[in-house]
Amino acid sequence: MAGNIVTFKATVDGLVIVFDREEKFEVILRQIEDKLQSAGKFFKGARLDIKYRGRELLEHEENRIKNLMGEKSGAIINSFDKDRSVGEKKEAVNPKKLNMKKLMFFDGIEEGITKFYRGTLRSGQLVDFEGNVVIIGDVNPGAEVKASGNIVIMGSLRGVVHAGRDGNRSAVITAFNLHPTQLRIADLISRPPDGNTAAGPGKAEIAYVRDGNIYIDLLGFTE
Amino acid sequence: MGEVIVITSGKGGVGKTTTTANIGTALALGGKKVVLVDTDIGLRNLDVVMGLENRIVYDLVDVVEGFCRLKQALIKDKRFEGLFLLPAAQTRDKTAVSPKQMINLCSDLKEEFDFVIIDCPAGIEQGFKNAIAGAEKAIVVTTPEVSAVRDADRIIGLLEANELRSPTLLINRVRPDMVRRGDMMSIEDIIDILAIDLVGVVPDDEKIVVSTNRGEPAVTDSKSLAGKAYGNIARRLLGEEVPILDFESDSGFLPMIKKLFGLKTT
Repeated sequence: MAGNIVTFKATVDGLVIVFDREEKFEVILRQIEDKLQSAGKFFKGARLDIKYRGRELLEHEENRIKNLMGEKSGAIINSFDKDRSVGEKKEAVNPKKLNMKKLMFFDGIEEGITKFYRGTLRSGQLVDFEGNVVIIGDVNPGAEVKASGNIVIMGSLRGVVHAGRDGNRSAVITAFNLHPTQLRIADLISRPPDGNTAAGPGKAEIAYVRDGNIYIDLLGFTE
Repeated sequence: MGEVIVITSGKGGVGKTTTTANIGTALALGGKKVVLVDTDIGLRNLDVVMGLENRIVYDLVDVVEGFCRLKQALIKDKRFEGLFLLPAAQTRDKTAVSPKQMINLCSDLKEEFDFVIIDCPAGIEQGFKNAIAGAEKAIVVTTPEVSAVRDADRIIGLLEANELRSPTLLINRVRPDMVRRGDMMSIEDIIDILAIDLVGVVPDDEKIVVSTNRGEPAVTDSKSLAGKAYGNIARRLLGEEVPILDFESDSGFLPMIKKLFGLKTT
Protein backbone atom coordinates (compact mmCIF):
# COMPACT_ATOMS: atom_id res chain seq x y z
CA MET A 1 0.00 0.00 0.00
CA ALA A 2 3.05 2.23 0.29
CA GLY A 3 3.02 5.12 -2.13
CA ASN A 4 -0.75 5.37 -2.25
CA ILE A 5 -1.75 8.99 -2.27
CA VAL A 6 -5.33 8.28 -1.26
CA THR A 7 -6.52 5.16 0.57
CA PHE A 8 -10.12 4.30 1.39
CA LYS A 9 -10.76 2.24 4.48
CA ALA A 10 -14.08 0.92 5.66
CA THR A 11 -14.70 0.86 9.41
CA VAL A 12 -17.72 0.15 11.57
CA ASP A 13 -18.28 3.89 11.88
CA GLY A 14 -18.16 4.57 8.16
CA LEU A 15 -15.51 5.40 5.64
CA VAL A 16 -12.02 6.62 6.48
CA ILE A 17 -9.88 8.25 3.83
CA VAL A 18 -6.15 8.41 4.39
CA PHE A 19 -4.32 11.13 2.49
CA ASP A 20 -0.65 11.43 1.69
CA ARG A 21 0.85 14.20 3.78
CA GLU A 22 3.15 15.63 1.11
CA GLU A 23 1.18 15.47 -2.11
CA LYS A 24 -0.42 18.53 -3.74
CA PHE A 25 -4.11 19.04 -3.08
CA GLU A 26 -5.00 18.96 -6.77
CA VAL A 27 -3.32 15.57 -7.19
CA ILE A 28 -5.29 14.26 -4.26
CA LEU A 29 -8.54 15.47 -5.79
CA ARG A 30 -7.72 13.73 -9.05
CA GLN A 31 -6.89 10.51 -7.18
CA ILE A 32 -10.19 10.57 -5.34
CA GLU A 33 -11.97 11.00 -8.63
CA ASP A 34 -10.10 8.03 -10.14
CA LYS A 35 -10.88 5.88 -7.12
CA LEU A 36 -14.56 6.71 -7.23
CA GLN A 37 -14.62 6.02 -10.94
CA SER A 38 -13.17 2.56 -10.45
CA ALA A 39 -15.53 1.89 -7.55
CA GLY A 40 -18.40 2.29 -10.03
CA LYS A 41 -21.76 2.03 -8.37
CA PHE A 42 -20.34 0.65 -5.16
CA PHE A 43 -21.29 3.64 -3.03
CA LYS A 44 -24.48 4.46 -4.85
CA GLY A 45 -27.37 5.25 -2.56
CA ALA A 46 -25.29 4.72 0.59
CA ARG A 47 -25.26 7.20 3.43
CA LEU A 48 -21.67 7.87 4.32
CA ASP A 49 -20.00 9.31 7.37
CA ILE A 50 -16.54 10.12 6.16
CA LYS A 51 -13.49 10.86 8.23
CA TYR A 52 -10.07 11.72 6.93
CA ARG A 53 -6.55 11.33 8.26
CA GLY A 54 -3.00 11.89 7.20
CA ARG A 55 -3.05 15.65 6.67
CA GLU A 56 -4.69 18.86 7.74
CA LEU A 57 -7.24 20.27 5.30
CA LEU A 58 -8.47 23.84 5.06
CA GLU A 59 -12.20 24.41 5.21
CA HIS A 60 -12.59 25.13 1.51
CA GLU A 61 -10.54 22.03 0.70
CA GLU A 62 -12.82 19.97 2.90
CA ASN A 63 -15.83 21.31 1.06
CA ARG A 64 -14.35 20.57 -2.35
CA ILE A 65 -13.66 16.96 -1.42
CA LYS A 66 -17.09 16.60 0.14
CA ASN A 67 -18.77 17.92 -3.00
CA LEU A 68 -16.64 15.75 -5.24
CA MET A 69 -17.46 12.66 -3.18
CA GLY A 70 -21.16 13.50 -3.32
CA GLU A 71 -21.15 14.01 -7.08
CA LYS A 72 -19.01 11.10 -8.18
CA SER A 73 -19.98 8.34 -5.77
CA GLY A 74 -23.73 8.78 -5.88
CA ALA A 75 -23.75 8.45 -2.08
CA ILE A 76 -25.27 10.82 0.39
CA ILE A 77 -22.49 12.36 2.43
CA ASN A 78 -23.75 12.73 5.97
CA SER A 79 -20.58 14.21 7.35
CA PHE A 80 -16.98 14.87 6.39
CA ASP A 81 -14.55 15.58 9.22
CA LYS A 82 -11.04 15.08 10.35
CA ASP A 83 -10.62 11.78 12.19
CA ARG A 84 -9.81 12.69 15.78
CA SER A 85 -9.85 9.15 17.09
CA VAL A 86 -6.45 8.20 15.69
CA GLY A 87 -4.68 8.52 19.01
CA GLU A 88 -7.42 6.49 20.59
CA LYS A 89 -7.18 3.88 17.91
CA LYS A 90 -3.50 3.28 18.49
CA GLU A 91 -4.35 2.67 22.13
CA ALA A 92 -6.78 0.00 21.03
CA VAL A 93 -3.87 -2.35 20.49
CA ASN A 94 -3.09 -2.14 24.18
CA PRO A 95 -4.63 -5.45 25.27
CA LYS A 96 -6.08 -4.05 28.50
CA LYS A 97 -8.23 -1.55 26.67
CA LEU A 98 -9.50 -4.05 24.15
CA ASN A 99 -12.45 -5.30 26.12
CA MET A 100 -14.00 -1.88 26.20
CA LYS A 101 -13.77 -1.61 22.46
CA LYS A 102 -16.22 -4.34 21.56
CA LEU A 103 -17.81 -2.13 18.96
CA MET A 104 -14.57 -2.03 17.01
CA PHE A 105 -14.65 -5.78 16.36
CA PHE A 106 -14.49 -7.08 12.88
CA ASP A 107 -17.74 -9.02 12.81
CA GLY A 108 -17.02 -11.23 9.82
CA ILE A 109 -15.88 -14.30 11.71
CA GLU A 110 -18.71 -16.41 10.35
CA GLU A 111 -18.78 -14.73 6.98
CA GLY A 112 -16.72 -11.79 5.90
CA ILE A 113 -13.95 -10.40 3.76
CA THR A 114 -10.93 -12.64 3.48
CA LYS A 115 -7.42 -12.24 2.18
CA PHE A 116 -5.71 -15.12 0.45
CA TYR A 117 -1.94 -15.23 0.43
CA ARG A 118 -0.24 -17.80 -1.73
CA GLY A 119 3.34 -18.80 -1.01
CA THR A 120 5.70 -19.19 1.90
CA LEU A 121 5.67 -16.32 4.35
CA ARG A 122 9.32 -15.85 5.29
CA SER A 123 11.09 -14.19 8.19
CA GLY A 124 10.39 -10.47 8.30
CA GLN A 125 7.27 -10.69 6.14
CA LEU A 126 3.99 -9.50 7.57
CA VAL A 127 0.43 -10.04 6.46
CA ASP A 128 -1.91 -7.70 8.29
CA PHE A 129 -5.55 -7.58 7.26
CA GLU A 130 -8.86 -6.24 8.47
CA GLY A 131 -10.71 -9.49 8.00
CA ASN A 132 -9.93 -13.19 7.77
CA VAL A 133 -6.65 -14.44 6.36
CA VAL A 134 -5.90 -17.68 4.54
CA ILE A 135 -2.26 -18.54 3.88
CA ILE A 136 -1.75 -21.17 1.21
CA GLY A 137 1.78 -22.10 2.21
CA ASP A 138 3.98 -22.08 5.31
CA VAL A 139 4.57 -19.36 7.86
CA ASN A 140 8.24 -19.46 8.87
CA PRO A 141 9.81 -18.29 12.14
CA GLY A 142 10.12 -14.51 12.17
CA ALA A 143 7.11 -14.05 9.89
CA GLU A 144 3.92 -12.59 11.27
CA VAL A 145 0.24 -12.86 10.38
CA LYS A 146 -2.26 -10.48 11.93
CA ALA A 147 -5.96 -10.48 11.21
CA SER A 148 -9.01 -9.00 12.82
CA GLY A 149 -10.78 -12.26 12.03
CA ASN A 150 -9.70 -15.90 11.71
CA ILE A 151 -6.41 -17.18 10.40
CA VAL A 152 -6.22 -20.38 8.38
CA ILE A 153 -2.84 -21.71 7.34
CA MET A 154 -2.74 -24.43 4.72
CA GLY A 155 0.79 -25.41 5.66
CA SER A 156 3.14 -25.35 8.63
CA LEU A 157 2.90 -22.58 11.16
CA ARG A 158 6.24 -21.73 12.78
CA GLY A 159 5.97 -17.96 13.11
CA VAL A 160 3.80 -15.58 15.10
CA VAL A 161 0.08 -15.27 14.41
CA HIS A 162 -2.46 -12.93 15.91
CA ALA A 163 -6.12 -13.63 15.19
CA GLY A 164 -8.94 -11.39 16.38
CA ARG A 165 -6.40 -8.61 16.57
CA ASP A 166 -8.97 -5.97 17.53
CA GLY A 167 -10.03 -8.00 20.54
CA ASN A 168 -12.41 -10.57 19.14
CA ARG A 169 -11.93 -13.68 21.24
CA SER A 170 -14.13 -15.83 19.04
CA ALA A 171 -11.50 -15.80 16.30
CA VAL A 172 -9.66 -19.08 15.67
CA ILE A 173 -6.35 -20.16 14.18
CA THR A 174 -5.91 -23.38 12.25
CA ALA A 175 -2.87 -24.92 10.58
CA PHE A 176 -1.36 -28.18 9.47
CA ASN A 177 1.62 -28.55 11.81
CA LEU A 178 1.00 -26.06 14.53
CA HIS A 179 4.51 -25.20 15.77
CA PRO A 180 4.12 -21.48 16.36
CA THR A 181 6.69 -19.21 17.96
CA GLN A 182 3.74 -17.53 19.59
CA LEU A 183 -0.04 -17.69 19.29
CA ARG A 184 -2.18 -14.67 19.98
CA ILE A 185 -5.95 -14.48 19.96
CA ALA A 186 -7.45 -11.10 20.84
CA ASP A 187 -5.70 -9.96 24.04
CA LEU A 188 -4.36 -13.42 24.93
CA ILE A 189 -0.86 -14.63 24.23
CA SER A 190 0.45 -18.15 24.52
CA ARG A 191 3.64 -19.85 23.53
CA PRO A 192 4.22 -23.54 23.15
CA PRO A 193 5.71 -25.37 26.12
CA ASP A 194 9.32 -26.47 25.72
CA GLY A 195 9.71 -29.71 23.89
CA ASN A 196 7.76 -31.07 20.96
CA THR A 197 4.13 -31.47 21.86
CA ALA A 198 2.50 -30.86 18.51
CA ALA A 199 0.60 -33.50 16.64
CA GLY A 200 2.33 -35.40 13.85
CA PRO A 201 2.96 -33.93 10.42
CA GLY A 202 -0.08 -33.23 8.38
CA LYS A 203 -2.40 -33.30 11.39
CA ALA A 204 -4.47 -30.18 11.33
CA GLU A 205 -4.96 -28.40 14.63
CA ILE A 206 -7.13 -25.54 15.79
CA ALA A 207 -6.45 -22.91 18.42
CA TYR A 208 -9.35 -21.15 20.11
CA VAL A 209 -10.24 -19.32 23.29
CA ARG A 210 -12.31 -20.80 26.09
CA ASP A 211 -12.63 -19.38 29.62
CA GLY A 212 -9.89 -16.88 28.96
CA ASN A 213 -7.33 -19.47 27.85
CA ILE A 214 -6.03 -20.48 24.47
CA TYR A 215 -6.67 -24.18 23.77
CA ILE A 216 -5.38 -26.32 20.93
CA ASP A 217 -7.31 -29.31 19.60
CA LEU A 218 -6.84 -31.77 16.81
CA LEU A 219 -9.05 -30.78 13.96
CA GLY A 220 -11.10 -33.88 13.31
CA PHE A 221 -13.54 -34.26 10.51
CA THR A 222 -16.13 -35.91 12.75
CA GLU A 223 -16.69 -32.79 14.84
CA MET B 1 24.08 5.87 35.91
CA GLY B 2 24.98 2.99 33.66
CA GLU B 3 27.34 2.55 30.80
CA VAL B 4 26.31 2.16 27.14
CA ILE B 5 28.55 -0.18 25.16
CA VAL B 6 28.08 -0.95 21.48
CA ILE B 7 29.36 -4.24 20.02
CA THR B 8 30.23 -3.67 16.37
CA SER B 9 32.42 -5.06 13.60
CA GLY B 10 31.55 -3.89 10.11
CA LYS B 11 31.81 -7.38 8.71
CA GLY B 12 29.00 -9.84 9.26
CA GLY B 13 29.36 -13.23 10.87
CA VAL B 14 32.33 -12.46 13.11
CA GLY B 15 30.35 -12.96 16.31
CA LYS B 16 28.79 -9.65 17.38
CA THR B 17 25.55 -11.23 18.52
CA THR B 18 27.28 -14.11 20.29
CA THR B 19 29.57 -11.61 21.99
CA THR B 20 26.66 -9.43 23.06
CA ALA B 21 24.76 -12.40 24.49
CA ASN B 22 27.76 -13.80 26.37
CA ILE B 23 29.20 -10.59 27.77
CA GLY B 24 25.72 -9.51 28.84
CA THR B 25 25.01 -12.81 30.55
CA ALA B 26 28.41 -12.80 32.24
CA LEU B 27 27.85 -9.29 33.58
CA ALA B 28 24.42 -10.31 34.88
CA LEU B 29 25.97 -13.37 36.56
CA GLY B 30 28.38 -10.90 38.14
CA GLY B 31 25.42 -9.24 39.84
CA LYS B 32 24.93 -6.31 37.47
CA LYS B 33 21.68 -5.11 35.99
CA VAL B 34 22.09 -5.51 32.25
CA VAL B 35 19.95 -4.83 29.18
CA LEU B 36 20.84 -6.18 25.74
CA VAL B 37 19.52 -4.07 22.88
CA ASP B 38 19.19 -5.60 19.42
CA THR B 39 19.43 -2.85 16.79
CA ASP B 40 19.50 -5.19 13.81
CA ILE B 41 15.98 -4.30 12.71
CA GLY B 42 14.66 -6.65 10.05
CA LEU B 43 17.36 -9.25 10.69
CA ARG B 44 17.13 -9.76 14.39
CA ASN B 45 19.02 -12.67 15.94
CA LEU B 46 19.84 -11.79 19.51
CA ASP B 47 16.45 -13.03 20.71
CA VAL B 48 17.08 -16.40 19.04
CA VAL B 49 20.60 -16.74 20.44
CA MET B 50 19.23 -15.89 23.90
CA GLY B 51 16.37 -18.37 23.47
CA LEU B 52 13.79 -15.64 24.09
CA GLU B 53 12.24 -15.42 20.63
CA ASN B 54 8.85 -16.78 21.69
CA ARG B 55 8.45 -14.18 24.41
CA ILE B 56 8.54 -11.10 22.20
CA VAL B 57 5.39 -9.01 22.27
CA TYR B 58 6.66 -5.48 21.76
CA ASP B 59 9.98 -4.40 20.29
CA LEU B 60 12.36 -1.49 19.93
CA VAL B 61 10.38 0.11 17.12
CA ASP B 62 7.18 -0.05 19.17
CA VAL B 63 9.02 1.78 21.94
CA VAL B 64 10.48 4.59 19.83
CA GLU B 65 7.16 5.04 18.04
CA GLY B 66 5.42 5.40 21.40
CA PHE B 67 3.28 2.35 20.77
CA CYS B 68 4.15 0.86 24.15
CA ARG B 69 6.10 1.81 27.24
CA LEU B 70 9.76 0.88 27.48
CA LYS B 71 9.06 -1.44 30.42
CA GLN B 72 6.51 -3.39 28.39
CA ALA B 73 9.01 -4.20 25.67
CA LEU B 74 11.79 -5.40 27.98
CA ILE B 75 11.94 -9.18 28.20
CA LYS B 76 13.20 -10.47 31.52
CA ASP B 77 15.49 -13.44 31.20
CA LYS B 78 14.23 -15.72 33.94
CA ARG B 79 17.44 -17.76 34.02
CA PHE B 80 19.68 -14.85 34.98
CA GLU B 81 18.80 -12.32 37.63
CA GLY B 82 19.05 -8.76 36.32
CA LEU B 83 19.27 -9.62 32.61
CA PHE B 84 16.84 -8.06 30.13
CA LEU B 85 16.47 -7.99 26.36
CA LEU B 86 15.03 -5.27 24.17
CA PRO B 87 14.38 -7.07 20.87
CA ALA B 88 14.45 -5.52 17.41
CA ALA B 89 11.44 -5.49 15.12
CA GLN B 90 11.54 -8.08 12.39
CA THR B 91 8.91 -6.85 9.95
CA ARG B 92 10.42 -3.37 9.62
CA ASP B 93 13.73 -1.99 8.40
CA LYS B 94 16.57 0.16 9.69
CA THR B 95 14.87 3.41 8.67
CA ALA B 96 12.17 2.81 11.30
CA VAL B 97 14.52 4.27 13.91
CA SER B 98 16.62 7.44 13.86
CA PRO B 99 19.92 8.10 15.68
CA LYS B 100 18.17 10.77 17.74
CA GLN B 101 15.56 8.28 18.98
CA MET B 102 18.37 5.88 19.89
CA ILE B 103 20.11 8.58 21.93
CA ASN B 104 16.91 9.17 23.89
CA LEU B 105 16.34 5.45 24.34
CA CYS B 106 19.87 4.86 25.59
CA SER B 107 19.67 7.67 28.09
CA ASP B 108 16.41 6.22 29.42
CA LEU B 109 17.91 2.73 29.72
CA LYS B 110 21.06 4.08 31.32
CA GLU B 111 19.00 5.34 34.26
CA GLU B 112 17.71 1.86 35.01
CA PHE B 113 20.62 -0.39 34.19
CA ASP B 114 24.31 -0.74 35.05
CA PHE B 115 25.13 -1.86 31.52
CA VAL B 116 23.34 -1.20 28.24
CA ILE B 117 24.87 -3.48 25.60
CA ILE B 118 23.96 -2.73 22.02
CA ASP B 119 24.20 -5.39 19.34
CA CYS B 120 25.05 -3.55 16.13
CA PRO B 121 24.09 -4.81 12.67
CA ALA B 122 26.74 -5.51 10.03
CA GLY B 123 27.51 -2.71 7.62
CA ILE B 124 28.13 0.99 7.99
CA GLU B 125 24.74 2.35 6.95
CA GLN B 126 21.73 3.55 8.92
CA GLY B 127 21.67 0.54 11.24
CA PHE B 128 25.25 1.16 12.28
CA LYS B 129 24.60 4.87 12.76
CA ASN B 130 21.59 4.07 14.95
CA ALA B 131 23.52 1.56 17.02
CA ILE B 132 26.45 3.84 17.82
CA ALA B 133 24.38 7.01 18.33
CA GLY B 134 23.70 6.51 22.01
CA ALA B 135 26.87 4.60 22.89
CA GLU B 136 29.69 5.83 25.08
CA LYS B 137 32.04 2.92 24.58
CA ALA B 138 32.62 0.54 21.71
CA ILE B 139 33.94 -2.98 21.41
CA VAL B 140 35.08 -3.87 17.90
CA VAL B 141 34.85 -7.58 17.15
CA THR B 142 37.09 -9.11 14.52
CA THR B 143 38.36 -12.54 13.51
CA PRO B 144 41.93 -13.32 12.43
CA GLU B 145 41.09 -12.88 8.76
CA VAL B 146 42.39 -10.14 6.53
CA SER B 147 38.90 -9.14 5.40
CA ALA B 148 37.50 -8.90 8.93
CA VAL B 149 40.52 -6.90 10.10
CA ARG B 150 40.14 -4.55 7.14
CA ASP B 151 36.49 -3.92 8.04
CA ALA B 152 37.38 -3.49 11.70
CA ASP B 153 39.89 -0.83 10.70
CA ARG B 154 37.21 1.02 8.75
CA ILE B 155 34.83 0.79 11.68
CA ILE B 156 37.41 2.12 14.14
CA GLY B 157 37.88 5.12 11.86
CA LEU B 158 34.12 5.72 11.72
CA LEU B 159 33.77 5.35 15.48
CA GLU B 160 36.51 7.89 16.08
CA ALA B 161 34.87 10.26 13.62
CA ASN B 162 31.67 9.91 15.66
CA GLU B 163 33.28 10.88 18.96
CA LEU B 164 33.60 7.30 20.17
CA ARG B 165 37.25 7.58 21.09
CA SER B 166 39.41 4.63 22.04
CA PRO B 167 37.25 1.64 21.14
CA THR B 168 38.58 -1.69 22.37
CA LEU B 169 39.26 -4.79 20.34
CA LEU B 170 37.90 -8.30 20.73
CA ILE B 171 39.53 -10.97 18.58
CA ASN B 172 37.15 -13.85 18.07
CA ARG B 173 37.55 -17.39 16.74
CA VAL B 174 41.29 -17.67 17.19
CA ARG B 175 42.73 -21.12 16.49
CA PRO B 176 45.99 -21.42 18.38
CA ASP B 177 47.14 -24.45 16.39
CA MET B 178 46.79 -22.58 13.13
CA VAL B 179 48.51 -19.50 14.53
CA ARG B 180 51.38 -21.69 15.69
CA ARG B 181 51.74 -23.16 12.22
CA GLY B 182 51.73 -19.66 10.79
CA ASP B 183 48.50 -20.25 8.87
CA MET B 184 46.51 -17.66 10.78
CA MET B 185 47.17 -14.05 11.76
CA SER B 186 48.40 -13.84 15.32
CA ILE B 187 47.02 -11.49 17.95
CA GLU B 188 50.16 -9.38 17.64
CA ASP B 189 49.72 -9.07 13.87
CA ILE B 190 46.18 -7.79 14.33
CA ILE B 191 47.06 -5.32 17.07
CA ASP B 192 49.92 -4.11 14.90
CA ILE B 193 47.46 -3.10 12.20
CA LEU B 194 44.59 -1.80 14.30
CA ALA B 195 46.61 -0.20 17.11
CA ILE B 196 43.89 -0.18 19.76
CA ASP B 197 43.66 -1.77 23.20
CA LEU B 198 42.69 -5.41 23.43
CA VAL B 199 39.70 -6.27 25.62
CA GLY B 200 39.88 -9.99 25.01
CA VAL B 201 40.66 -12.96 22.81
CA VAL B 202 38.11 -15.72 22.28
CA PRO B 203 39.19 -19.08 20.89
CA ASP B 204 37.26 -20.87 18.18
CA ASP B 205 34.97 -23.29 19.97
CA GLU B 206 32.52 -25.85 18.63
CA LYS B 207 30.45 -25.46 21.76
CA ILE B 208 29.41 -21.98 20.61
CA VAL B 209 27.40 -23.52 17.79
CA VAL B 210 25.62 -25.80 20.23
CA SER B 211 24.90 -23.05 22.73
CA THR B 212 23.70 -20.67 20.01
CA ASN B 213 21.30 -23.25 18.64
CA ARG B 214 19.99 -24.07 22.09
CA GLY B 215 19.57 -20.46 23.09
CA GLU B 216 21.85 -20.82 26.10
CA PRO B 217 24.84 -18.47 26.29
CA ALA B 218 28.22 -20.27 26.42
CA VAL B 219 29.37 -18.49 29.58
CA THR B 220 27.03 -20.74 31.54
CA ASP B 221 28.97 -23.79 30.32
CA SER B 222 31.99 -24.18 32.56
CA LYS B 223 33.62 -26.54 30.05
CA SER B 224 33.48 -24.08 27.18
CA LEU B 225 36.79 -22.32 26.57
CA ALA B 226 35.07 -19.54 24.62
CA GLY B 227 32.61 -19.13 27.48
CA LYS B 228 35.52 -18.72 29.87
CA ALA B 229 37.11 -16.10 27.61
CA TYR B 230 33.83 -14.15 27.52
CA GLY B 231 33.63 -14.37 31.29
CA ASN B 232 37.10 -12.84 31.51
CA ILE B 233 36.09 -10.02 29.17
CA ALA B 234 33.12 -9.21 31.38
CA ARG B 235 35.43 -9.08 34.41
CA ARG B 236 37.71 -6.70 32.53
CA LEU B 237 34.73 -4.46 31.79
CA LEU B 238 34.08 -4.42 35.52
CA GLY B 239 37.58 -3.10 36.03
CA GLU B 240 39.33 -6.28 37.13
CA GLU B 241 42.81 -7.04 35.89
CA VAL B 242 42.54 -10.40 34.15
CA PRO B 243 45.39 -11.64 31.97
CA ILE B 244 44.51 -12.40 28.36
CA LEU B 245 44.21 -16.14 27.78
CA ASP B 246 47.36 -16.63 25.78
CA PHE B 247 47.23 -19.80 23.77
CA GLU B 248 50.62 -19.45 22.18
CA SER B 249 53.11 -18.83 24.92
CA ASP B 250 53.98 -20.66 28.13
CA SER B 251 50.75 -19.83 29.90
CA GLY B 252 48.72 -21.87 27.46
CA PHE B 253 47.41 -25.27 28.43
CA LEU B 254 49.53 -27.55 26.27
CA PRO B 255 52.79 -25.67 26.75
CA MET B 256 52.10 -25.70 30.48
CA ILE B 257 51.82 -29.48 30.48
CA LYS B 258 54.97 -29.73 28.44
CA LYS B 259 56.70 -27.42 30.89
CA LEU B 260 55.55 -29.57 33.77
CA PHE B 261 57.21 -32.53 32.20
CA GLY B 262 60.34 -30.53 31.39
CA LEU B 263 59.83 -30.59 27.66
CA LYS B 264 60.99 -27.71 25.57
CA THR B 265 58.21 -25.63 24.11
CA THR B 266 58.46 -24.66 20.51
